[in-house]
Amino acid sequence: MQLRVLDRWVFGFWTALAVMGGGPVKAQEAPPGLAPGDPAPMTDVKMKNVDGREISIADVQGTKGTLVIFSCNACPWAKAWEKRIVALGNTWHKKGVGVIVVNSNDPDKVAEDDYATMQKRAKQRGISYPYVVDATSDVARAFGAAHTPEAFLFGADGKLAYHGTIDDNAKEPGKVKTRYLEDALRAVAAGREVAVKETKALGCSIKFRPKA
Amino acid sequence: MLAAAGIAAAGIALAAGAPASGAARRGGPVIRPATARQILAAVRAPGARAVVLNVWATWCVPCREEFPDVMRIVAAYRGRGLRPVLVSADFDDQVPAARRFLREQGVDFPSYLKSGDDMEFINALSPRWSGALPATFVYDGSGRLEYFHEGRVPPLDLERAVQRALGNIAGRKKGA
Repeated sequence: MQLRVLDRWVFGFWTALAVMGGGPVKAQEAPPGLAPGDPAPMTDVKMKNVDGREISIADVQGTKGTLVIFSCNACPWAKAWEKRIVALGNTWHKKGVGVIVVNSNDPDKVAEDDYATMQKRAKQRGISYPYVVDATSDVARAFGAAHTPEAFLFGADGKLAYHGTIDDNAKEPGKVKTRYLEDALRAVAAGREVAVKETKALGCSIKFRPKA
Repeated sequence: MLAAAGIAAAGIALAAGAPASGAARRGGPVIRPATARQILAAVRAPGARAVVLNVWATWCVPCREEFPDVMRIVAAYRGRGLRPVLVSADFDDQVPAARRFLREQGVDFPSYLKSGDDMEFINALSPRWSGALPATFVYDGSGRLEYFHEGRVPPLDLERAVQRALGNIAGRKKGA
């Protein structure tokens, strides 16, 4: 109940700010992402993993939930969070939460986001979950993912339980106050409702490949 | 109250585009840390007929690609009352590179370094913004958001939005 009141207050606060900030926004807006409760789209699409195998989101689905993170090699924010993402991924995929990290960036736009660098990075960091190439960027489009890193956590029921960032301080891990994704993972694994379902952070825009 | 007045005054001072000192010019234009509240104060400071706010970073490829277009439009409409507000989302240790980039791009006015919590910053500028860079906002002279775009901004769309924003004030005065 208290959370609902808080949600309303937060919604009202931001709505008021938005109204103060302006009226109609006439230009292109970010694609609408998945909403809490939505299922994961394009789960059967096979994507090339750093070990050469073709893997889909459905292939990694966990008994307690599934974590999909859109990330890449080059983005400074992805780099800043990289060790924390690897630690979470390596830990939670052993605890029944399926984990897959998806690189949807076009390496023609950012060379460092190529497959060879993904393989090198996965080896360097000791990644033990799939790190795959979204070869058309269509998986990112279907999720409404806009930037890297961006996490989507689905519960055991397949519904989106959390969407957003890793924690509240990309640059300084020692100053993190709220570990949004880890808190959500704990809740999902325990079958509880996630308290904070959506968060935001600055990040690099996904360098989408041209639409087919 | 005093704090709020101070923030507003700082915003107005920066928005007015006071020329940088000689030392500052050598390293590039001044970049000062600012929260979303301070940035919105600069947007709404009196004296502009329209405002273009661009959030960028040195390492962000589309930010660097669109920057010359944004500056071309700023140069074309600044004389008609367009105020540029540039906000770097670089980390603190990248500020020297940010200043160098601004100098190379011919920026001759002070700008900002994003400060404070990401989520608060993003939602204060627009709840529709995902946080992806770059992000561009156009406001009319009364501070109303006329246009928002995340990702590389199409120059023609930006120019039309600036023209609309400049026209909004004229339209309102006419109708008042």
